[in-house]
Amino acid sequence: MAAAAAMEPPIAAAVVDDQELIAATLAGRSDAFGELVGRYERAVYNLAVRTLRDRTEAEDAAQEAFFKAYRALHTFRPGAKFSTWIFTICYRGCCDRLAKRKRLSGDELPDRADPAPGPALLAERKDDAERLRRAIDELPEKYRTVITLYHLQGKQYEEIATVLNLPLGTVKTHLFRAKELLRKALTT
Amino acid sequence: MMDDDALDRALSALPLEEPPAGLHGRIMAATVFRPQTVTLGWEVWLIVTLAAAAGWLSWMVLSAPHASERLTDLIARLVDAGGLGSVNTLVWLAVGISAAWWLSQLTIPARRRIESP
Repeated sequence: MAAAAAMEPPIAAAVVDDQELIAATLAGRSDAFGELVGRYERAVYNLAVRTLRDRTEAEDAAQEAFFKAYRALHTFRPGAKFSTWIFTICYRGCCDRLAKRKRLSGDELPDRADPAPGPALLAERKDDAERLRRAIDELPEKYRTVITLYHLQGKQYEEIATVLNLPLGTVKTHLFRAKELLRKALTT
Repeated sequence: MMDDDALDRALSALPLEEPPAGLHGRIMAATVFRPQTVTLGWEVWLIVTLAAAAGWLSWMVLSAPHASERLTDLIARLVDAGGLGSVNTLVWLAVGISAAWWLSQLTIPARRRIESP
């Protein structure tokens, strides 16, 4: 298998879809999985950062999500979207971490704030994007995740509902409230 | 107040945070480049469980009063019960084991396979 894989052209050179990359990974092509990781690591990391509000823990959560996905890759249903699948794995992992935090501290989902910002970061916050990012960070967890997935996946409500395991109506309600809160935060 | 479209535009324009530089390498090291384990997960569990049981049993036996005398006595009784104290038994045991070993070393020609036409 390794010899056959060595004779194949590099995966990254060809424009292939996720399904082909998964098939190639299952056939023993490590570069195919590397390409998949390259496509989604940023989005997965951002989902974890927004959900956990802790960059170090988000890095671990992203790594764990890809590890779980790799181990369960043979169970991936053909025709399904890899992005939805990896986001679901990542989100569940983040929920477990949040629940663990809750158990350890006894508080109600104590989100960890990042360390106090330095002068450079304070200056950067004046930026609109940074204001929006901070406003998202200050949303309650359920709204924050919905708006993050809305940002990452676009207006694909069904995909968001699948990742969060919520009814479509709930997703739309959460999104509406999240946007309302964001608008208020950005106006004041 | 910002309207829905403006918020949507701001959200789509929001750049994603860059993941840490080493994340890709860490993921690859934990997945495709992860060294294969020699033992399976259940084998490790079995070995650990057996080792723990053996340790617990040893501790129970050795911590009992007069443990060494009792242990020696038990071994002696087992040897007697199995007839291992008798020279005859030991000789026959040696003959049996050596016969089994010699038989296991014999190369018996395999029956010729009849090929289907």
